[in-house]
Amino acid sequence: MTNPVLQFQILSKTPDETAKFYSSLFGWSVDANNPMGFRKIDTGSKEGIQGGIWPAPPQSPNFVQLFMGVDDVRASVQKAEGLGAKLLIPPTVLPEGDEMAVLLDPQGMSFAVWRRAKK
Amino acid sequence: MRISSRTIGRMDGTSFREYLNGELAARQRKNRRYSLRAFAAFLESDHSTLSQILRGRRRVPLNRIRSWGKKLGMGQEEIAWFVAAESVPNRAAALKQEALQEWAAEGAGIATQAVHWQILRLSQTPEFRADCRWIAKQIDAPVDEVNLALSRLLRLRLLEMKASNQWADTTGLQPLTERDFRTLALARVRESATEKQTSPCAKASPEAR
Repeated sequence: MTNPVLQFQILSKTPDETAKFYSSLFGWSVDANNPMGFRKIDTGSKEGIQGGIWPAPPQSPNFVQLFMGVDDVRASVQKAEGLGAKLLIPPTVLPEGDEMAVLLDPQGMSFAVWRRAKK
Repeated sequence: MRISSRTIGRMDGTSFREYLNGELAARQRKNRRYSLRAFAAFLESDHSTLSQILRGRRRVPLNRIRSWGKKLGMGQEEIAWFVAAESVPNRAAALKQEALQEWAAEGAGIATQAVHWQILRLSQTPEFRADCRWIAKQIDAPVDEVNLALSRLLRLRLLEMKASNQWADTTGLQPLTERDFRTLALARVRESATEKQTSPCAKASPEAR
């Protein structure tokens, strides 16, 4: 299986303001009506990827995280750790059935591996 | 002014020392008999102090950068840059500071917001719904506050989301009291901050988060 970048996530200390800024700038629609209260971004385009906005922890600046699609989240975590990554959030099943884990790569940049729920 | 790419890449209090070493080496290439004592005399310093600085045994005082920079023919901008570079904390100090900031910020969340404990408590009730909007309503908190707390609980391994509607308290506390939870969570925050200081990721990047 290939491992495409499926989604971007903006972590912001002021998620509402971030949503307002990008919606105004690019015409993106933002919808938080889902079980995680996750502000899903729809860019309105079939090109590129879609994303979302999540509140940033107080100790970190605002940043962007990429979500890479995988078949098996646990196996991907194990492989990443073998390559020097550090696990931040262990494999976690989200309310809508998606599974994800968040890691730091060996240079300290965070990213997520993500398996979409089968529909 | 001779500034090597190596010097520019090390803005952590070592760049002026490298510059001085480079300057001494250049003078010695021109004149084989040029000594450390001669260089110290040129800078109006004692050779013992200069020697310690060149070997990295002591940092260069900022007033020395200014006075030596002038003697070495640097302009005000170059001197100001070296002073700024020398003022940047070294990597170990920066990591320690970063870990302290994380400890303080994560700890403040745990110590001041009951939402963490409330999420765990709710997850044990029969009516629990794995829905942050529902949780927010139950505990009368904004959804963003619930989500921040949820991320923190997952990072600190105090909660597991095993299935789409199955969240498990992994504190091991029975009963799960707010006070015991806070003690355990603060200990985890401290462990995490300490680990971050020593992890290979933290050593590799100034932006580990």
